[in-house]
Amino acid sequence: MNVIVSNSIRFVLLVLVQVLILNNLEVGAGIYPMLYPLFILLLPIEMATVTLMFVSFFFGLTIDAFSNTFGLHASAAVVFAFFRPLVFKLFAPRDGFEMGEMNAMNLLAVRWFIVSYIVLLFIHHTWFFIIEVFKWNEFLLILQKIILSVPISFGLSLLVRTAFMDKSKKER
Amino acid sequence: MRNLLAFFQRFRIFLVFVLLQIVALSTYVRYSEFARLQALSTISGINSSVMSVRNDVVKHFNLEETNKQLAWENAWLKQQLKLSNYQLKKGFVAIDDTLYNQQYKYIPATAINSTFDKRNNYMTIDIGSNHGIKRGWGVFSSKGVVGIVHTVGKRYSLVKTILSKNINIDVMLDKGGAFGLLKWDGENAKYVQISGISNDMRIKKWSTVSTKGGSGIFPRGIPVGKVVEKRFMEGRPLWDIHLLTAVDFRTVQQVYVVKNIHLDELEQLQDAIPADKEEEDL
Repeated sequence: MNVIVSNSIRFVLLVLVQVLILNNLEVGAGIYPMLYPLFILLLPIEMATVTLMFVSFFFGLTIDAFSNTFGLHASAAVVFAFFRPLVFKLFAPRDGFEMGEMNAMNLLAVRWFIVSYIVLLFIHHTWFFIIEVFKWNEFLLILQKIILSVPISFGLSLLVRTAFMDKSKKER
Repeated sequence: MRNLLAFFQRFRIFLVFVLLQIVALSTYVRYSEFARLQALSTISGINSSVMSVRNDVVKHFNLEETNKQLAWENAWLKQQLKLSNYQLKKGFVAIDDTLYNQQYKYIPATAINSTFDKRNNYMTIDIGSNHGIKRGWGVFSSKGVVGIVHTVGKRYSLVKTILSKNINIDVMLDKGGAFGLLKWDGENAKYVQISGISNDMRIKKWSTVSTKGGSGIFPRGIPVGKVVEKRFMEGRPLWDIHLLTAVDFRTVQQVYVVKNIHLDELEQLQDAIPADKEEEDL
Protein backbone atom coordinates (compact mmCIF):
# COMPACT_ATOMS: atom_id res chain seq x y z
CA MET A 1 0.00 0.00 0.00
CA ASN A 2 1.13 3.50 -0.71
CA VAL A 3 2.69 5.23 2.31
CA ILE A 4 0.55 8.35 1.92
CA VAL A 5 -2.68 6.37 1.59
CA SER A 6 -1.96 4.13 4.58
CA ASN A 7 -1.00 7.08 6.76
CA SER A 8 -4.10 9.04 5.71
CA ILE A 9 -6.32 6.11 6.63
CA ARG A 10 -4.52 5.85 9.96
CA PHE A 11 -5.01 9.62 10.46
CA VAL A 12 -8.78 9.42 10.00
CA LEU A 13 -9.25 6.23 12.01
CA LEU A 14 -7.13 7.36 14.97
CA VAL A 15 -8.88 10.74 15.11
CA LEU A 16 -12.27 9.05 15.12
CA VAL A 17 -11.29 6.48 17.75
CA GLN A 18 -9.77 9.16 19.98
CA VAL A 19 -12.65 11.61 19.60
CA LEU A 20 -15.67 9.33 19.51
CA ILE A 21 -14.59 6.60 21.90
CA LEU A 22 -11.61 7.45 24.11
CA ASN A 23 -12.70 11.04 24.88
CA ASN A 24 -15.97 9.69 26.22
CA LEU A 25 -14.54 7.02 28.48
CA GLU A 26 -14.89 7.73 32.14
CA VAL A 27 -12.21 5.68 33.83
CA GLY A 28 -11.84 7.97 36.83
CA ALA A 29 -8.79 8.87 38.93
CA GLY A 30 -7.62 11.29 36.25
CA ILE A 31 -6.94 8.60 33.66
CA TYR A 32 -7.13 9.88 30.11
CA PRO A 33 -6.11 7.28 27.52
CA MET A 34 -4.55 8.80 24.40
CA LEU A 35 -4.11 6.56 21.38
CA TYR A 36 -3.36 9.19 18.78
CA PRO A 37 0.44 9.52 19.39
CA LEU A 38 0.66 6.13 17.64
CA PHE A 39 0.01 7.96 14.36
CA ILE A 40 3.04 10.21 14.83
CA LEU A 41 5.20 7.26 15.88
CA LEU A 42 4.26 5.28 12.78
CA LEU A 43 4.94 8.08 10.28
CA PRO A 44 7.80 7.11 7.95
CA ILE A 45 11.08 7.06 9.84
CA GLU A 46 12.95 8.91 7.09
CA MET A 47 10.61 11.91 7.31
CA ALA A 48 12.40 15.20 8.09
CA THR A 49 11.75 16.55 11.58
CA VAL A 50 10.32 19.86 10.34
CA THR A 51 7.78 18.11 8.10
CA LEU A 52 7.02 15.71 10.90
CA MET A 53 6.28 18.58 13.26
CA PHE A 54 3.98 20.31 10.78
CA VAL A 55 2.06 17.09 10.13
CA SER A 56 1.77 16.48 13.88
CA PHE A 57 0.63 20.04 14.46
CA PHE A 58 -2.16 19.67 11.91
CA PHE A 59 -3.06 16.26 13.33
CA GLY A 60 -3.21 17.64 16.87
CA LEU A 61 -5.35 20.57 15.73
CA THR A 62 -7.83 18.13 14.20
CA ILE A 63 -8.18 16.37 17.53
CA ASP A 64 -8.43 19.73 19.32
CA ALA A 65 -11.27 20.76 17.04
CA PHE A 66 -13.32 17.80 18.20
CA SER A 67 -12.53 17.95 21.90
CA ASN A 68 -12.69 21.70 22.66
CA THR A 69 -9.08 21.95 23.74
CA PHE A 70 -7.95 24.69 21.31
CA GLY A 71 -4.32 23.77 20.68
CA LEU A 72 -3.53 21.63 23.71
CA HIS A 73 -3.30 18.40 21.72
CA ALA A 74 -1.49 20.23 18.90
CA SER A 75 1.14 21.45 21.33
CA ALA A 76 1.65 18.00 22.84
CA ALA A 77 1.76 16.38 19.39
CA VAL A 78 4.48 18.80 18.27
CA VAL A 79 6.48 17.92 21.40
CA PHE A 80 6.11 14.24 20.51
CA ALA A 81 7.30 14.91 16.96
CA PHE A 82 10.21 17.05 18.13
CA PHE A 83 11.53 14.34 20.45
CA ARG A 84 10.87 11.40 18.10
CA PRO A 85 14.15 11.55 16.14
CA LEU A 86 16.14 12.30 19.31
CA VAL A 87 14.72 9.33 21.18
CA PHE A 88 15.04 7.06 18.16
CA LYS A 89 18.70 7.98 17.93
CA LEU A 90 19.18 7.43 21.66
CA PHE A 91 17.73 3.93 21.68
CA ALA A 92 18.85 2.82 18.23
CA PRO A 93 20.74 -0.48 17.99
CA ARG A 94 24.48 0.04 18.31
CA ASP A 95 25.24 -0.42 14.64
CA GLY A 96 22.49 1.99 13.63
CA PHE A 97 19.27 1.11 11.92
CA GLU A 98 18.48 0.78 8.27
CA MET A 99 15.50 2.27 6.56
CA GLY A 100 13.89 -1.05 5.74
CA GLU A 101 14.35 -2.52 9.19
CA MET A 102 11.08 -1.13 10.52
CA ASN A 103 9.06 -3.25 8.15
CA ALA A 104 11.01 -6.39 8.83
CA MET A 105 10.14 -6.04 12.53
CA ASN A 106 12.80 -8.38 13.84
CA LEU A 107 13.09 -8.85 17.57
CA LEU A 108 15.71 -6.17 18.06
CA ALA A 109 13.69 -3.62 16.14
CA VAL A 110 10.54 -4.43 18.11
CA ARG A 111 12.25 -3.97 21.46
CA TRP A 112 13.84 -0.72 20.34
CA PHE A 113 10.50 0.47 19.04
CA ILE A 114 8.68 -0.27 22.30
CA VAL A 115 11.27 1.40 24.54
CA SER A 116 11.24 4.53 22.34
CA TYR A 117 7.46 4.62 22.40
CA ILE A 118 7.27 4.41 26.20
CA VAL A 119 9.76 7.25 26.58
CA LEU A 120 7.98 9.39 23.97
CA LEU A 121 4.57 8.73 25.51
CA PHE A 122 5.92 9.72 28.88
CA ILE A 123 7.26 13.02 27.47
CA HIS A 124 4.00 13.62 25.61
CA HIS A 125 1.74 12.93 28.61
CA THR A 126 3.91 14.98 30.95
CA TRP A 127 3.73 17.98 28.64
CA PHE A 128 0.01 17.51 28.03
CA PHE A 129 -1.01 17.32 31.69
CA ILE A 130 1.33 20.10 32.83
CA ILE A 131 -0.14 22.48 30.25
CA GLU A 132 -3.67 21.28 30.98
CA VAL A 133 -3.52 21.77 34.75
CA PHE A 134 -0.91 24.57 34.73
CA LYS A 135 -0.66 25.00 38.48
CA TRP A 136 2.35 23.87 40.47
CA ASN A 137 0.46 23.46 43.69
CA GLU A 138 -1.55 20.74 41.98
CA PHE A 139 1.67 18.88 41.22
CA LEU A 140 0.41 15.65 42.79
CA LEU A 141 -2.65 15.67 40.56
CA ILE A 142 -0.41 16.09 37.50
CA LEU A 143 1.84 13.27 38.68
CA GLN A 144 -1.14 11.00 39.33
CA LYS A 145 -2.59 11.70 35.89
CA ILE A 146 0.74 11.00 34.16
CA ILE A 147 1.58 7.83 36.06
CA LEU A 148 -1.86 6.32 35.61
CA SER A 149 -2.46 7.39 32.00
CA VAL A 150 0.87 6.44 30.41
CA PRO A 151 0.59 2.64 30.99
CA ILE A 152 -3.01 2.63 29.79
CA SER A 153 -2.23 4.62 26.65
CA PHE A 154 0.73 2.35 26.01
CA GLY A 155 -1.21 -0.87 26.51
CA LEU A 156 -3.98 0.37 24.29
CA SER A 157 -1.52 1.36 21.55
CA LEU A 158 0.19 -2.03 21.72
CA LEU A 159 -3.16 -3.78 21.49
CA VAL A 160 -4.29 -1.73 18.51
CA ARG A 161 -0.92 -2.09 16.82
CA THR A 162 -0.76 -5.90 17.13
CA ALA A 163 -4.44 -6.46 16.48
CA PHE A 164 -5.09 -4.22 13.50
CA MET A 165 -1.91 -2.91 11.94
CA ASP A 166 0.40 -5.91 11.70
CA LYS A 167 -1.72 -7.66 9.10
CA SER A 168 -1.30 -4.94 6.52
CA LYS A 169 2.45 -5.09 7.09
CA LYS A 170 2.55 -8.80 6.36
CA GLU A 171 0.54 -8.41 3.18
CA ARG A 172 2.99 -5.93 1.79
CA MET B 1 24.37 37.76 6.81
CA ARG B 2 25.92 34.40 6.09
CA ASN B 3 26.33 33.78 9.80
CA LEU B 4 22.68 34.56 10.32
CA LEU B 5 21.67 32.10 7.61
CA ALA B 6 23.98 29.50 9.08
CA PHE B 7 22.39 30.09 12.47
CA PHE B 8 18.91 29.56 11.10
CA GLN B 9 20.10 26.49 9.23
CA ARG B 10 21.60 25.02 12.35
CA PHE B 11 18.69 25.64 14.69
CA ARG B 12 16.01 25.22 12.05
CA ILE B 13 14.30 22.31 13.79
CA PHE B 14 14.26 23.99 17.17
CA LEU B 15 13.01 27.28 15.70
CA VAL B 16 10.12 25.53 13.94
CA PHE B 17 9.37 23.73 17.20
CA VAL B 18 9.25 27.00 19.14
CA LEU B 19 7.12 28.66 16.45
CA LEU B 20 4.55 25.85 16.44
CA GLN B 21 4.45 25.81 20.24
CA ILE B 22 3.82 29.56 20.33
CA VAL B 23 0.95 29.21 17.85
CA ALA B 24 -0.58 26.23 19.68
CA LEU B 25 -0.21 27.55 23.21
CA SER B 26 -1.35 31.09 22.44
CA THR B 27 -4.55 29.75 20.90
CA TYR B 28 -4.97 27.45 23.90
CA VAL B 29 -4.53 30.25 26.41
CA ARG B 30 -6.51 32.99 24.71
CA TYR B 31 -8.84 31.34 22.22
CA SER B 32 -11.99 33.06 23.39
CA GLU B 33 -10.68 36.45 22.24
CA PHE B 34 -10.41 35.44 18.60
CA ALA B 35 -13.75 34.87 16.95
CA ARG B 36 -11.97 33.21 14.04
CA LEU B 37 -10.68 30.41 16.24
CA GLN B 38 -14.18 29.24 16.94
CA ALA B 39 -13.79 27.30 13.71
CA LEU B 40 -11.44 25.10 15.72
CA SER B 41 -14.04 23.88 18.16
CA THR B 42 -17.10 21.70 18.26
CA ILE B 43 -19.39 24.66 17.56
CA SER B 44 -18.34 24.97 13.92
CA GLY B 45 -19.59 23.32 10.72
CA ILE B 46 -18.31 19.83 10.13
CA ASN B 47 -17.27 19.23 13.73
CA SER B 48 -20.66 20.04 15.13
CA SER B 49 -22.32 17.81 12.54
CA VAL B 50 -20.05 14.91 13.54
CA MET B 51 -20.85 15.58 17.19
CA SER B 52 -24.57 15.78 16.39
CA VAL B 53 -24.41 12.35 14.75
CA ARG B 54 -22.58 11.03 17.80
CA ASN B 55 -25.24 12.54 20.03
CA ASP B 56 -27.99 10.99 17.91
CA VAL B 57 -26.48 7.62 18.66
CA VAL B 58 -25.55 8.17 22.28
CA LYS B 59 -28.72 9.90 23.43
CA HIS B 60 -30.68 6.67 23.16
CA PHE B 61 -28.53 5.09 25.84
CA ASN B 62 -29.81 7.65 28.31
CA LEU B 63 -33.45 7.76 27.23
CA GLU B 64 -34.69 6.20 30.43
CA GLU B 65 -32.82 8.64 32.62
CA THR B 66 -33.89 11.59 30.45
CA ASN B 67 -37.51 10.47 30.56
CA LYS B 68 -37.35 10.23 34.32
CA GLN B 69 -35.91 13.71 34.56
CA LEU B 70 -38.55 15.19 32.27
CA ALA B 71 -41.34 13.42 34.10
CA TRP B 72 -39.98 14.67 37.40
CA GLU B 73 -39.88 18.17 36.02
CA ASN B 74 -43.41 17.93 34.62
CA ALA B 75 -44.65 16.90 38.02
CA TRP B 76 -42.85 19.82 39.61
CA LEU B 77 -44.28 22.27 37.08
CA LYS B 78 -47.79 20.92 37.53
CA GLN B 79 -47.50 21.64 41.21
CA GLN B 80 -46.90 25.27 40.33
CA LEU B 81 -50.09 25.52 38.29
CA LYS B 82 -53.02 27.37 39.73
CA LEU B 83 -55.13 24.28 38.96
CA SER B 84 -53.37 22.15 41.54
CA ASN B 85 -53.62 24.75 44.27
CA TYR B 86 -56.62 25.20 46.47
CA GLN B 87 -58.09 28.61 45.94
CA LEU B 88 -58.53 30.36 49.28
CA LYS B 89 -60.39 33.43 48.12
CA LYS B 90 -62.31 33.24 44.92
CA GLY B 91 -62.18 36.25 42.65
CA PHE B 92 -58.59 37.18 43.43
CA VAL B 93 -56.93 35.36 40.61
CA ALA B 94 -55.24 37.93 38.43
CA ILE B 95 -53.60 36.78 35.24
CA ASP B 96 -52.25 40.22 34.46
CA ASP B 97 -50.03 40.41 37.48
CA THR B 98 -49.16 43.85 38.70
CA LEU B 99 -47.07 42.78 41.68
CA TYR B 100 -44.73 40.43 39.86
CA ASN B 101 -42.91 41.34 36.71
CA GLN B 102 -41.06 38.73 34.75
CA GLN B 103 -37.30 39.01 35.31
CA TYR B 104 -35.87 35.75 33.98
CA LYS B 105 -36.65 33.99 30.73
CA TYR B 106 -35.56 30.46 29.89
CA ILE B 107 -34.55 29.00 26.57
CA PRO B 108 -34.46 25.19 26.33
CA ALA B 109 -31.43 23.56 24.70
CA THR B 110 -29.93 20.14 24.16
CA ALA B 111 -26.38 19.31 25.22
CA ILE B 112 -24.73 17.61 22.25
CA ASN B 113 -21.27 17.09 23.73
CA SER B 114 -19.84 17.44 27.18
CA THR B 115 -16.76 16.45 29.15
CA PHE B 116 -16.30 15.87 32.85
CA ASP B 117 -12.80 14.52 33.29
CA LYS B 118 -10.64 17.47 32.20
CA ARG B 119 -9.37 20.27 34.42
CA ASN B 120 -11.75 22.69 32.67
CA ASN B 121 -14.86 21.11 31.26
CA TYR B 122 -17.07 22.42 28.49
CA MET B 123 -20.46 21.47 27.14
CA THR B 124 -21.66 22.16 23.59
CA ILE B 125 -25.33 23.12 23.35
CA ASP B 126 -27.39 23.36 20.17
CA ILE B 127 -28.46 27.00 20.35
CA GLY B 128 -26.39 30.07 19.55
CA SER B 129 -26.54 33.71 18.55
CA ASN B 130 -29.38 32.90 16.12
CA HIS B 131 -31.47 32.23 19.19
CA GLY B 132 -30.25 35.33 20.98
CA ILE B 133 -27.75 33.65 23.29
CA LYS B 134 -25.01 35.86 24.68
CA ARG B 135 -21.77 35.20 26.50
CA GLY B 136 -22.05 35.11 30.29
CA TRP B 137 -25.58 33.82 30.61
CA GLY B 138 -26.29 31.05 33.07
CA VAL B 139 -27.20 27.47 32.15
CA PHE B 140 -29.01 24.98 34.36
CA SER B 141 -30.87 21.71 34.03
CA SER B 142 -33.93 20.44 35.85
CA LYS B 143 -31.65 19.10 38.60
CA GLY B 144 -29.45 22.13 39.18
CA VAL B 145 -26.77 24.53 37.97
CA VAL B 146 -24.72 23.46 34.94
CA GLY B 147 -22.49 26.41 34.05
CA ILE B 148 -22.07 29.69 32.20
CA VAL B 149 -22.14 30.37 28.43
CA HIS B 150 -18.54 30.88 27.38
CA THR B 151 -18.37 31.13 23.59
CA VAL B 152 -21.27 31.74 21.22
CA GLY B 153 -21.43 30.51 17.64
CA LYS B 154 -24.28 31.02 15.19
CA ARG B 155 -26.08 27.78 15.86
CA TYR B 156 -24.10 26.30 18.75
CA SER B 157 -22.50 27.61 21.92
CA LEU B 158 -19.96 26.40 24.43
CA VAL B 159 -20.84 26.31 28.12
CA LYS B 160 -18.11 26.36 30.75
CA THR B 161 -19.47 23.92 33.33
CA ILE B 162 -19.08 24.21 37.10
CA LEU B 163 -16.36 21.58 36.77
CA SER B 164 -13.85 24.31 35.92
CA LYS B 165 -10.98 26.05 37.63
CA ASN B 166 -12.34 29.56 38.11
CA ILE B 167 -16.07 29.32 37.67
CA ASN B 168 -16.82 31.45 40.78
CA ILE B 169 -20.61 31.30 40.84
CA ASP B 170 -21.97 32.87 44.02
CA VAL B 171 -23.85 30.29 46.06
CA MET B 172 -25.44 30.21 49.51
CA LEU B 173 -26.49 27.69 52.11
CA ASP B 174 -30.25 27.39 52.10
CA LYS B 175 -30.24 27.30 55.90
CA GLY B 176 -28.51 30.30 57.41
CA GLY B 177 -27.82 32.01 54.10
CA ALA B 178 -24.03 32.11 54.39
CA PHE B 179 -22.60 32.64 50.95
CA GLY B 180 -19.40 31.75 49.17
CA LEU B 181 -17.93 31.09 45.73
CA LEU B 182 -18.12 27.81 43.85
CA LYS B 183 -14.78 26.18 42.95
CA TRP B 184 -13.62 22.83 41.63
CA ASP B 185 -10.38 21.09 42.58
CA GLY B 186 -10.32 18.90 39.50
CA GLU B 187 -10.30 15.58 41.29
CA ASN B 188 -13.76 14.11 41.11
CA ALA B 189 -16.61 15.19 38.85
CA LYS B 190 -19.14 14.38 41.54
CA TYR B 191 -17.80 16.83 44.10
CA VAL B 192 -17.33 20.60 43.94
CA GLN B 193 -16.08 22.99 46.62
CA ILE B 194 -17.19 26.26 48.17
CA SER B 195 -14.72 28.80 49.49
CA GLY B 196 -15.28 31.86 51.61
CA ILE B 197 -17.59 30.57 54.35
CA SER B 198 -16.10 31.36 57.74
CA ASN B 199 -15.67 28.47 60.14
CA ASP B 200 -17.82 29.83 62.93
CA MET B 201 -20.90 28.93 60.90
CA ARG B 202 -22.57 25.69 61.91
CA ILE B 203 -23.17 23.55 58.86
CA LYS B 204 -24.97 20.24 58.90
CA LYS B 205 -24.13 17.40 56.55
CA TRP B 206 -26.61 17.03 53.66
CA SER B 207 -27.78 20.63 54.00
CA THR B 208 -28.62 21.97 50.56
CA VAL B 209 -26.80 24.71 48.68
CA SER B 210 -28.33 26.85 45.95
CA THR B 211 -27.49 29.89 43.85
CA LYS B 212 -27.54 33.29 45.50
CA GLY B 213 -28.55 35.22 42.41
CA GLY B 214 -26.27 38.11 43.31
CA SER B 215 -24.65 38.69 39.94
CA GLY B 216 -27.87 38.35 37.98
CA ILE B 217 -26.67 35.33 36.04
CA PHE B 218 -28.89 32.83 37.82
CA PRO B 219 -32.17 33.40 39.62
CA ARG B 220 -32.03 32.83 43.37
CA GLY B 221 -32.54 29.30 44.59
CA ILE B 222 -31.41 27.00 41.79
CA PRO B 223 -29.97 23.91 43.52
CA VAL B 224 -26.21 23.36 43.33
CA GLY B 225 -25.66 20.37 45.60
CA LYS B 226 -25.58 18.98 49.10
CA VAL B 227 -22.83 19.33 51.70
CA VAL B 228 -21.04 16.03 52.21
CA GLU B 229 -17.93 17.12 54.02
CA LYS B 230 -16.43 20.13 55.74
CA ARG B 231 -12.79 20.47 56.67
CA PHE B 232 -10.75 23.08 58.43
CA MET B 233 -8.67 25.12 56.05
CA GLU B 234 -5.14 25.29 57.35
CA GLY B 235 -4.16 28.74 58.55
CA ARG B 236 -7.38 30.46 57.56
CA PRO B 237 -10.65 30.90 59.47
CA LEU B 238 -12.66 29.31 56.67
CA TRP B 239 -14.43 26.04 55.99
CA ASP B 240 -13.34 23.93 53.06
CA ILE B 241 -16.77 22.61 52.09
CA HIS B 242 -17.28 19.71 49.68
CA LEU B 243 -20.58 19.39 47.83
CA LEU B 244 -22.15 16.49 46.00
CA THR B 245 -23.30 18.11 42.75
CA ALA B 246 -27.02 18.08 42.05
CA VAL B 247 -26.39 17.58 38.32
CA ASP B 248 -24.93 14.34 37.05
CA PHE B 249 -22.71 15.54 34.22
CA ARG B 250 -22.55 12.09 32.66
CA THR B 251 -26.24 12.05 31.80
CA VAL B 252 -27.34 15.68 31.50
CA GLN B 253 -29.00 16.36 28.14
CA GLN B 254 -31.81 18.87 28.50
CA VAL B 255 -30.68 22.26 29.78
CA TYR B 256 -32.08 25.78 30.01
CA VAL B 257 -30.28 29.02 29.29
CA VAL B 258 -31.21 31.90 31.59
CA LYS B 259 -31.90 35.34 30.19
CA ASN B 260 -32.05 38.07 32.79
CA ILE B 261 -34.15 40.91 31.41
CA HIS B 262 -32.77 43.30 34.01
CA LEU B 263 -29.14 42.44 33.34
CA ASP B 264 -28.37 45.67 31.42
CA GLU B 265 -29.81 47.77 34.21
CA LEU B 266 -27.89 45.79 36.81
CA GLU B 267 -24.62 46.17 34.93
CA GLN B 268 -25.18 49.88 34.37
CA LEU B 269 -25.68 50.36 38.08
CA GLN B 270 -22.63 48.33 38.97
CA ASP B 271 -20.49 50.17 36.44
CA ALA B 272 -21.42 53.39 38.20
CA ILE B 273 -19.52 52.25 41.30
CA PRO B 274 -16.27 54.24 41.29
CA ALA B 275 -13.14 52.17 40.74
CA ASP B 276 -10.84 51.32 43.63
CA LYS B 277 -8.20 53.73 42.36
CA GLU B 278 -10.05 56.77 43.64
CA GLU B 279 -10.31 55.28 47.09
CA GLU B 280 -6.57 55.03 47.27
CA ASP B 281 -6.27 58.74 46.58
CA LEU B 282 -8.36 59.63 49.61
